[in-house]
Amino acid sequence: MDKKRVIGNLDNPGLPYEYDKREYGTVPLDSSRAPFQWVSEVAYKNAHRIVTRGYDTTELMEQGYGITDIMFINFQARIPTVAEDQMLNYILILSLEDGLSMPAAMSRMTARSKTFLTQACGASILAFGHAYGAYSAFGNMLLEALQKAESEGKGMQAAAQELVASKLGDPALGVSDLMLKDPAAKRVFARAEKLGVAGKYIAFTKEIVKAAQRESSRPVDLDLLGATGAAMMDLGFTPEATWAIIAVTRSFGAGAHYIEEVEREGHTRLGETLTPKELYDGPGDRPVPPLADRDKVAKPAKTRTPDEWKAAFEERKKLHGSGFAIVEEIHDPSKKTGIKTLGKKI
Amino acid sequence: MSREPMLSKKTSIAYKTEEKTVLRGYDLSELAEEGYSFCDALFVLFQGRIPTEAEEKMLRYEMGSFLEHSMSPSAASALAVTAGRPNLPTAVAAGVMTFGGVHGPGAAHGYMMNKYIERAHKEGKTLDEAAKILVDEYMDAGMPVMGMGQPQHSDGDPRAEPIHLKQEELGSNGAYHEFQRAVEKHFHARRKREGKSYVGVNVVGAGNAALSDLGFAPNAAWCIGSVSRAYSCATHAIFSMKKSRAWAASKSEPMVQMLDLSMIKYVGPNDREVPSQEERQEYAEAQKKSGEYKKWVI
Repeated sequence: MDKKRVIGNLDNPGLPYEYDKREYGTVPLDSSRAPFQWVSEVAYKNAHRIVTRGYDTTELMEQGYGITDIMFINFQARIPTVAEDQMLNYILILSLEDGLSMPAAMSRMTARSKTFLTQACGASILAFGHAYGAYSAFGNMLLEALQKAESEGKGMQAAAQELVASKLGDPALGVSDLMLKDPAAKRVFARAEKLGVAGKYIAFTKEIVKAAQRESSRPVDLDLLGATGAAMMDLGFTPEATWAIIAVTRSFGAGAHYIEEVEREGHTRLGETLTPKELYDGPGDRPVPPLADRDKVAKPAKTRTPDEWKAAFEERKKLHGSGFAIVEEIHDPSKKTGIKTLGKKI
Repeated sequence: MSREPMLSKKTSIAYKTEEKTVLRGYDLSELAEEGYSFCDALFVLFQGRIPTEAEEKMLRYEMGSFLEHSMSPSAASALAVTAGRPNLPTAVAAGVMTFGGVHGPGAAHGYMMNKYIERAHKEGKTLDEAAKILVDEYMDAGMPVMGMGQPQHSDGDPRAEPIHLKQEELGSNGAYHEFQRAVEKHFHARRKREGKSYVGVNVVGAGNAALSDLGFAPNAAWCIGSVSRAYSCATHAIFSMKKSRAWAASKSEPMVQMLDLSMIKYVGPNDREVPSQEERQEYAEAQKKSGEYKKWVI
């Protein structure tokens, strides 16, 4: 297109290029490289078969394998032993339901908007982060601590002591006061040992529990995150695979919560929900200034010196919801171990 | 630390105390200790009952068949989301949320079956007669018959017929199986009469009939199917996050990437000049009056 004029700042010498000369039009197909394809080492299919890690999925079913076996095949490219499959079933049962916790709440809230069930199930998976269901954080913490101990020639006990010194109280530690009266977590380890599938991750987590019990001023014990997380890793699942498998498993439970919410509560319309003033603790009611008075009341956010910046920053922290009181950005612990690079050529 | 629930309301699904988590009356830990399988627990979750051994086997078969489907819309969604390297659950959630009207429409197929079986009940017809009515009504209206056809498995979905046969082998075939088989029979017959090519049953048709005969309601069946797939969506997403390029547009890869600029084919309005604010009102009125823009409205 022939441009006849330049708009606004686009002729500004501060621009490192002449905007007016930039090309329009799409980029021709790149024939210098191989065309795009969905590259996968997980699965393929054709018109006749679906094949995961080399195994035809229908043939697997006909041979008597089931969904939990397929998880081993999908995530680890191997057929599990009978004991491993039993252990995975055990863990998945424990992971299926957690009452009215966050995944169920998210599913139910999504259901209230009259959505597809799949939206609610997806929403429930989003509840899994680095505090609730912190399997990635927990697993990568174990891997990192064990690697460090190995490189420093330390034993598990010393490594656990060091870990607890810096992580006691961390929601991803796997040790807390959440299951002091519920035997379910400790039973996971007992079952893994009975089935002969317990390995170094369960052994290390046991040391972490002991160290935490020595260091903590209040009673703590193994919790479900630590129990199922360590057992999954002894079954050979990576922290990321564990994170996903447990989150997806809970999503079945969230589906039941979606159904019950629709059956018992119905739907909620836009604008229907009220927030009582008693719940509000923000600035008091105040008149909206006339638009003509904007310059009199508006104060620019700009600061010029570090001192000014600091003073403004501290002031802004007082307003909940502004974001200034969050001092640490959430990071993805997966990047510490499993996902180090931006990718590689395949 | 507050241990109050996020929502305060009645539920008949589960409760959790400091001592235990109870699903439909059963202590979850006790269920696991007793040696029940994950599939058994899904019967407890959705139906409040322990299944027979054959029923458990059927569900295992069904879920295993459905878990992996290579490059389908759900896996593609999960992969696309990983390009931005968000937290993993985001990609997995996207995979589940892809299940809508035409991708594993389990609930819709279930409601369709219930509607016509209910009609058979009310009108004193056989399941076979109700199935013929369904096929004729859908095909007369030019609507696709749900449960039939799969765009990638053009000569028959490799999961579907084996699921039918497994149901028969395990003796878990009931009214839904009979009805679905009848739908297929009348569908094939009509297409043959009309000189149309063969279109086989898909995994929704066969699988959903099996899940319905196992006692799962349409939405519960949909949940089982779509969430089972989420496990493999997670595998694809992790593969992408660990072994492929972030942003999916690198020029240094030997293969053109999914989001390479050359993958864009634009078919919208031609490049045009942005009107100045002085010209705006007159320009906008003329544009609206011409109506040419309407062909682009979506």
